[in-house]
Amino acid sequence: MRQYAVVFAMMVASLYGATEASLAQHQDHKAKSTSQDSSSIQQNRKESAGVNAKNAAAVKQIIASYLKLKNALVSDKSNDAAKAGKEIVEALGTLDKSLLTTEQAKLYEDVGEDAREHAEHIGENAKNIGHQREHFAVLSQDVYDLVKTFGAGQLLYKNFCPMYNDKKGAIWLSETKTIKNPYYGKKMLTCGEFQEELK
Amino acid sequence: MKRIKQILFTLLILFIVIQFIRPARNHGEQAGQLNIAATFNAPDTVLSLFRNACFDCHGNDTDYPWYSNIQPVGWLIEKDIRDGKAKLNFSELGSLSPRRQMSKWQNVENRIKDGTMPLPMYQLMHPRARLTEAERQRLIDWVRKTIDTLASQR
Repeated sequence: MRQYAVVFAMMVASLYGATEASLAQHQDHKAKSTSQDSSSIQQNRKESAGVNAKNAAAVKQIIASYLKLKNALVSDKSNDAAKAGKEIVEALGTLDKSLLTTEQAKLYEDVGEDAREHAEHIGENAKNIGHQREHFAVLSQDVYDLVKTFGAGQLLYKNFCPMYNDKKGAIWLSETKTIKNPYYGKKMLTCGEFQEELK
Repeated sequence: MKRIKQILFTLLILFIVIQFIRPARNHGEQAGQLNIAATFNAPDTVLSLFRNACFDCHGNDTDYPWYSNIQPVGWLIEKDIRDGKAKLNFSELGSLSPRRQMSKWQNVENRIKDGTMPLPMYQLMHPRARLTEAERQRLIDWVRKTIDTLASQR
């Protein structure tokens, strides 16, 4: 009977492996088809400076979700942070690369992809706020660079926590100048310093 | 009793059959292109630690254990490698932008620090992947230096 159980366990494991494999293939497929889509609309690319209304709205949504994430981390709410992380991923997807200048598109390919990866990790780690904060540190730098290129459409403050990451420090963006530290939550809520005003 | 025997026999046959379903092996590096050591500007004392603890699942050339020839174990190993490479592939890290490289290295530092990598199961099966505290610190120090260098290039 025990042998039976062992063999059965192997069967289940192999079935699992097989589904995973076909799933991965499927995702691969999906990724390919979306990249094709974006290249076909690239012809419409506008070479004008600035950001058009549609993308300004996308950037606004990215920032709104980012601030939501920041505030969730300030109040040590891991679940809310995960939700906001997923929102960021979604918002990043709404930005239309075909409407960017070549230079903007190049930056967005780099920064946007990096931000997406970190936001995704934050979304997947609802029970691990420490992990979420690690990704938030890098994400914040990405969002800062996005704002520098595309504008914020609102007043933002860049703040700095000198203690985080073994005293290497980390920045965050906030809608208020008052320091509310997202890296340590209520443990060290008012720790940090104001660095720069962004518009 | 007879039925149990029948079931066991069927499963045995199935077990034999699945042995013939063998996933492609992760040996891309031997085919040329990228060489991990070349994209890694690390001293041997650091590189060997990465090799022993990380490259099997985060690179293009896996050093397979014998039991990877037994299915479905081999399939599960292949899945780990596929997942590992999707998140981080040291063989191709050098071709990413400084920002992306920095990001990846930051994750590497965090994972070594919190001990989630190398995976406990992997360490169980690979004694060479069990890092001492001093070795972990050596890796972390080197990674931090690498991040600083990249930050100045970004």
